[in-house]
Amino acid sequence: MDFAFTAEEEAFRADLRAFLDAEVPDWWRGMFVDDERTMPFTRELCRMLAGRGWLTMAWPPEHGGAGASVWMQAIVREEMWAREEPRGPQYMNLNYIGPLVMRFGTPEQQARFLPPMAQGEVIWTQGFSEPDAGSDLASLITRAEDRGDHFIVNGQKIWTSYADAPADWCLLLTRTNRDAPKHHGISVLLVDMTTPGITVRPIDTMAGPHEFNEVFLDDVRVPRECLLGEQDHGWDVIVAGLTFERVGIARYARAGRVIEVLVEYANATGRGDDPAVRDRLADMRARYEAARLLNYRAVSMQAAGVVPTIEASVARMHNTQLEQQVGHVGLELLGPLGRLRSKDPLAPLEGEIHRYWTRNIPTTVAAGTLEIQKNIVAQRGLGLPRAP
Amino acid sequence: MNLELSAEQRLLAETARAFVDRHGTDASAVDPWPTMVGAGWSGLLIPEDQGGAGGGMVDVALVCEALGRGPVSSPLIASGVLAALPVLWLGSAEQRERWLPGLAAGATVGTLALLEPGMRDEWDAPRIAGAASLSGKKVLVPWAVGADVMVVVTADGLRLLEVADETVRVDAHDTLDGEPTGLVMFDGATAEPLGGTADAKDVLDRVLDHAAIAELAFAVGAAERALDLSVQHAKDRTQFGRPIGSFQAVAHRCADMRADVDACRYLAYQAAWALDRDPATAVLAVTAAKSYANDAIRRVFLNAHQVHGAIGFSTEHDLHTFTRRAKAFELTHGSTARHRDRLATAMGLGTRR
Ligand SMILES: Cc1cc2nc3c(=O)[nH]c(=O)nc-3n(C[C@H](O)[C@H](O)[C@H](O)COP(=O)(O)OP(=O)(O)OC[C@H]3O[C@@H](n4cnc5c(N)ncnc54)[C@H](O)[C@@H]3O)c2cc1C
Repeated sequence: MDFAFTAEEEAFRADLRAFLDAEVPDWWRGMFVDDERTMPFTRELCRMLAGRGWLTMAWPPEHGGAGASVWMQAIVREEMWAREEPRGPQYMNLNYIGPLVMRFGTPEQQARFLPPMAQGEVIWTQGFSEPDAGSDLASLITRAEDRGDHFIVNGQKIWTSYADAPADWCLLLTRTNRDAPKHHGISVLLVDMTTPGITVRPIDTMAGPHEFNEVFLDDVRVPRECLLGEQDHGWDVIVAGLTFERVGIARYARAGRVIEVLVEYANATGRGDDPAVRDRLADMRARYEAARLLNYRAVSMQAAGVVPTIEASVARMHNTQLEQQVGHVGLELLGPLGRLRSKDPLAPLEGEIHRYWTRNIPTTVAAGTLEIQKNIVAQRGLGLPRAP
Repeated sequence: MNLELSAEQRLLAETARAFVDRHGTDASAVDPWPTMVGAGWSGLLIPEDQGGAGGGMVDVALVCEALGRGPVSSPLIASGVLAALPVLWLGSAEQRERWLPGLAAGATVGTLALLEPGMRDEWDAPRIAGAASLSGKKVLVPWAVGADVMVVVTADGLRLLEVADETVRVDAHDTLDGEPTGLVMFDGATAEPLGGTADAKDVLDRVLDHAAIAELAFAVGAAERALDLSVQHAKDRTQFGRPIGSFQAVAHRCADMRADVDACRYLAYQAAWALDRDPATAVLAVTAAKSYANDAIRRVFLNAHQVHGAIGFSTEHDLHTFTRRAKAFELTHGSTARHRDRLATAMGLGTRR
């Protein structure tokens, strides 16, 4: 057991920090804000990262990566997430969309889709959820009819983040076989978002614009060469993708950064000796340690060549609840001024805590709800029987 | 960074686990201490040239975690941590030579006498005056019953005392966990100084940090066992025609227990590792671990009892022994509030540095 990063890893972190200090502008507030500089900036930053070999450094060399260790990847995730993810939507490409193409894609698909991701030049979106298919994702009904050399897709997706970025491509889940049991008969299509018949309608959120969209698909023609994995066996692809995604975000790192900001704020406002403030912030720090260590456990397993499954769910249970709690404790510390949002000149800490709290209202919902994570731990981890 | 156990650590953990599987089931049967001594666990923190195993807190944590699954009652923490460390860190060459080999060999059982009636917790100032002859009372002294040597915390530093005659009287307490904890009364007992007055406070803090993490590891073992019992019960017990574990209200309690136990385990490992590396900078890891675990272990046992229904309250079921030890852990070596306050300082909050 060793709870320290190596000198080499620390040096890399320092380089990465210096780069981000220089390149991430002061106005950067994450993706979901009303600021037209946002998208051009994340695209430019990803190109710069790609130029340094840092964007897809975890990928194998044959796909434009450096085969970096899982710990190097963890450092990248921490530094990015701590700064409100300046890679924007492209973190999904690196973490799981690219790896899925490597694992399930044909050589032609790999040659076509991976280089633009490695160069930081393409925005992907994830078209999974539907109005009637949330946690019960396998009940999705968006239909792809097999027409030989192409599919015709009809249906609707919802909560599709980054679709209005605008996204260039969509990892789309469709039903290709209505007679099969619900986990069968699903197929994954790689869909060009400029294809006629696709309409994107943004849905505003509490955090601001651009997070949610509806995507309507009306007789959308998708060539067969854009089918990822086997037809009707898309569920296997998705299960692999969800596993990648679970260790894909270092949520605790942002919580850790916000806790530091709150400590500075408490000291600056003369409340660092207030026993109640000390107790609350120390509580958050201890929970942060717990979440960080459980993420590190999952990464350690990966480093040892083991795929974390329920360990990833346990880490996620900690991560998401930590983020919510830190947001609440932060606003509590700000008191009535915590109501002021970023644009109000009197907002403490330029509204950062308010933004953080808002962002994390649905953390325990996105990408597999807290209850679904608990179901996974109970059933797959502890072997408890399924609910009827 | 690597949270996997090394081959040696794995072997130690497995050996301890196998030992507990043999000895842990019936507490009254065989005295486990000689076997533990034989395995070198009594002297884990004592250097090899003093007869110990020259190990570290990570080793202690792995052994204690296994013991907690028993639970096995032994003076491991009282003697091997609370008594051994002050002698190791503050003792003169002569004092170390005199006591450490015996503590390591398990022939001598030591303990630390700290709390006094009226002290709020281990960080309050003791009142017993530090003199060649000690008088006064110490409460909740772990393994006081049968201890050969005591490190006594006085208002003027630490003292070392051999339990030899009627100037030291020990009455067993009636505790919830049943450990041989005692009320110790000194009446002109002869005690020699252990180190000076100046470094006593720092050393005591470090000793308590080590003990807290050893106890935490023990509690993690107990909590893991409570989880195992709960999961088994949730599979076996049928109500409304189905195993209760198929009710989500029950299953989710079990998942929460898993998440809590895992967190406590890695917090304990991190703190143990940090103590081995540099006890002076380990405060953050220790206080985070102890403050988190006080709450989390409590949650685990609340959930375990709820899942068990009435049978968990019955002493015919094993759960209660683990519940008792876990509660004793929570109440010993610092409350949640105490450790959060220390953690706050370590995080840079406030002007108190
Ligand atoms: C910020 C954000 C971004 C998102 N981005 C995307 C995206 O880019 N692409 C995409 O496809 N989707 C996206 N989603 C959708 C997300 O995947 C779904 O919200 C999620 O899967 C839950 O589905 P739902 O919202 O329909 O809730 P529901 O499934 O309806 O759940 C509602 C409540 O019921 C509970 N529940 C449901 N089933 C069970 C069960 N079996 N046991 C116990 N409790 C249960 C849930 O835990 C929850 O508390 C995003 C969501 C959020 C919040």
